[in-house]
Amino acid sequence: MEFLSDLWAVNRITVAYAMVNAFFALSCYAVLQAGFLSFSTVTFAAIGGFLGAQMVIHGYALPLVFLASGVAGTVSALLVALVFLRLSSHWMALASLALVLITRVVVLNAPALTGGVMGLSVPMALPMEWLTALLAIAMICFWALYNSWFGIASRVLREDPSVAACMGVDLRKVQFTAFGISGFVGGLAGVLLALLLQYISPDTYFISIAFTMIAATVLGGSHHWLGPILGAAVYTVLPIASQAVLPHVQDVAAGVVLLLIMIFLPRGLIDPRAFRLRRAARGAK
Amino acid sequence: MELFASQLLNGLSLGSLYALFGIGFGLVFATMGILNAAQGCYATWAAIIALAAAESLGLPFPLIILAAVLGGGVVAIGVDQLGFQPLRARKVDMLGALITSIAFWMILDSLAGFATGQQSLSFPAWSYPGYMLTTNPIPLPAMQIISISTLIVITVAMHYMIAHTRLGSAIRAVGWNPVAASLGGVNSRTIILLTAALAGAISGLAGLLGGVLTSNVSFTLGQSLMLKGFAAVVVGGYTDVRGTAIAGLLLGVLEVFCGQYISTALRDGFTYSLLLLFLLVRPQGLFGSRGFIRA
Amino acid sequence: MTTFRKIVSAGLVSAGMLIGGTLGMTSAAMAIDPGTYKIGWVADRTGVVAFAGVSYAQGGQLAVEEINASGKLGDGVKLEIVEREGASEPARSIQGYNQLVADREIIATACCIFSGIAGALKPIAKNNGVPLVFYGATMPNLPELPLIYNVTSLPGVQEVALSKYLVEVLKPKTVAYFVLADNEAFQQRYKASREVFEAAGAETVGVATALGHDTDFTAQATQLIALKPDLIMVYVTQIPAAGFIQAVRQRGWEGHMATNEAISPIAVWKKIGEALAGVPFSVAFTADTAETPPAKAFVENYRKKFGADPDVYAAQGYTAVQLIAQGLEKLQGKPTREQLAEAMASLNTIENDVFGGIKLVDGQLITDKNNFVAWTREGKIAPWKP
Repeated sequence: MEFLSDLWAVNRITVAYAMVNAFFALSCYAVLQAGFLSFSTVTFAAIGGFLGAQMVIHGYALPLVFLASGVAGTVSALLVALVFLRLSSHWMALASLALVLITRVVVLNAPALTGGVMGLSVPMALPMEWLTALLAIAMICFWALYNSWFGIASRVLREDPSVAACMGVDLRKVQFTAFGISGFVGGLAGVLLALLLQYISPDTYFISIAFTMIAATVLGGSHHWLGPILGAAVYTVLPIASQAVLPHVQDVAAGVVLLLIMIFLPRGLIDPRAFRLRRAARGAK
Repeated sequence: MELFASQLLNGLSLGSLYALFGIGFGLVFATMGILNAAQGCYATWAAIIALAAAESLGLPFPLIILAAVLGGGVVAIGVDQLGFQPLRARKVDMLGALITSIAFWMILDSLAGFATGQQSLSFPAWSYPGYMLTTNPIPLPAMQIISISTLIVITVAMHYMIAHTRLGSAIRAVGWNPVAASLGGVNSRTIILLTAALAGAISGLAGLLGGVLTSNVSFTLGQSLMLKGFAAVVVGGYTDVRGTAIAGLLLGVLEVFCGQYISTALRDGFTYSLLLLFLLVRPQGLFGSRGFIRA
Repeated sequence: MTTFRKIVSAGLVSAGMLIGGTLGMTSAAMAIDPGTYKIGWVADRTGVVAFAGVSYAQGGQLAVEEINASGKLGDGVKLEIVEREGASEPARSIQGYNQLVADREIIATACCIFSGIAGALKPIAKNNGVPLVFYGATMPNLPELPLIYNVTSLPGVQEVALSKYLVEVLKPKTVAYFVLADNEAFQQRYKASREVFEAAGAETVGVATALGHDTDFTAQATQLIALKPDLIMVYVTQIPAAGFIQAVRQRGWEGHMATNEAISPIAVWKKIGEALAGVPFSVAFTADTAETPPAKAFVENYRKKFGADPDVYAAQGYTAVQLIAQGLEKLQGKPTREQLAEAMASLNTIENDVFGGIKLVDGQLITDKNNFVAWTREGKIAPWKP
């Protein structure tokens, strides 16, 4: 029994990390599945994270904190969408990268809100029950969305925007909704990370997390909502596994694994199309 | 007045590095549609390879430049063939290529850390012209003049090649649509290899000059060039190297003057806000043409 | 034998056994049980300050080797360092630290170059009751007995001492500063120093700033040289300091500059060379100026093991392990984390002292020696003469 509780103690924090990363990945997925490459999740997370951290420091109740972070994320996402949706896909990727860079500058230069270069210490730890409950709710919502008009419309939009428009899909509505969802989940991800680390700084929501979260989402599969969750889990465990197996070259090992997965499974680990094709092939026999 | 001129020169020299790097980055983006997160690593590795060649073979400066150019090209071809080519065969889009480039960024940066022993190295004093051409009226370091002239030469050469030669047309055709280009008689495979090598070589050159000018050969070299070089590409428009060159110089000068006369803390804020402004108001950049957007 | 003699001899024998047994027990009970005791170490062997992180880790490893070889903790007692790579990133460091703390075999931990990360790990250590020794964070007021210690000699005190010395010796009328805008520790050092100079009547003619990840400093060098100050004070980390000093000298400015211990490692001399000569700084330890027997032995052993001279970072990593070991020395039986914390809290100084005069006050290491040194033209560090 002690062995099991020790095992849990050592790995509890990794499981928590994987769950928080799942929120980041889901936020990226929300925008990716509508056909856009955007790093803006980081900005939504920064806004949600610093707002949430300040609320926790000032003693607000957790449910209120989570709601506020999510709403703040949504509002910023809709503003970003207003501005970015005028750009074509290439530009949007560049613009969102520029947005991430600007976010850091703003965080550094607003010490009253964000603690500036020293960062903010968050006095409360993340309760596992809240994290699990929120993730379960998120999974249910994404499952529902996948099978709803929004899910179908966004898949068509991603495949071919012109065909989607011909079929009567209101492109703007789908795109804005995608950003809105990304914003809410992103803001939530930000505050969850703040509570998990109990310390956030300008470098917490920056390029490194932008790239790794997109990588995790694509790795897991950006065509189904389970993909980001699995991708986040793999991405969280990978550095730890590499450190245990190849301690001094763990970063190189992680990169190589990512590369191999991209070469052999470019649509990610969870790919509905591959399942369907395989099922059809089996059925045909 | 002398201070102004001196700082102007500093800004132009710094900007020429951003511009050179941006030309390489923009070439990959424009012709292959890949947002290459590993481009900074080409710069870092070109500098590392050149340093190793200089120290072990005692090369003179022009050969060191050659080593950097070749080094950058080879690394770029390696990344392209190992990472991007398999994706091309499967017709994977920009997203897949981006993730692959992220994987290479992790690998190459980590290896660069090992290669330099986690230290920041510098080129030995005998290997580059580190003297001042004159100190009156303002200090004129030879390396800064070399940087700026290199940018001008590369910009002119690249623009001429892309706009006025068959090779340039072939590159543009492959960038637009590789299948259509091969139907027109262009060997897409060769052109892609050539484009990758060229982009790596030019970014590598930026890495070498940066490594010499700042006495810093380490993985941080590529990272700092990447962030600013990408801004140069956006502001200048990635379809025209002249735009990137001018935008890069502009950004360098802006950075230096902002730091001198306003404040360093807001310096990056200026640069990136300018970037965002251009993206929103004039996405094709200063010189780009609006039509060149991949479907 | 008569009954009386039997009783007496039995009594003498038992008394002898009792005394002998007690003595034997006492000497055996003065040490902890044989076994391997693990020290958790959050390392920064990659990332932006890896050059220092590697030094800290190597210093710690040397200490463990020396202590194990000397057997001073007892027969069959071995120390072992378990490393987790933090790469100077908060998320990775926090994750790694949590894993270390969850391992019951780890009896004490050490970490941190960045004060922000130190501040983040402190509550985790406190919540889990595990002793934590900071080997590199420079923020004041970090230590909290009995669990949290800091063996970094705080730069603030050294800064003020160096500034006062420079005021005496150079009598500057105008001073310019080069500072990092986004580094709280250096901002405070700069302010402390500026106070000293301004109180002595030296006017601040200009302040140039840079950001942490900058690599080009010619603009700031040009800016400050144009002001023609009597003295330039450089409060930045290693790469900016080296780059700035080189840029200033290349432009032909021969005036006085002073900086901090960031340029003390030999790698910086190899990189920049003569431009660094004659620029004074205050540092707690260098291999070239090591005078006391423990310091010289440390330099000797470090050279043998790693083939290079130790720098101040290695000395601090070494001292962190010494502190933990000295705490373990006072314990007996099977030591727990709480017992070790109490033992460490009771220490006033560290015996194996490579700094030449240190005290432990409320968990913070204090050095009372001020070494004002500079690089010489031959590439050695020596006491600075203006």
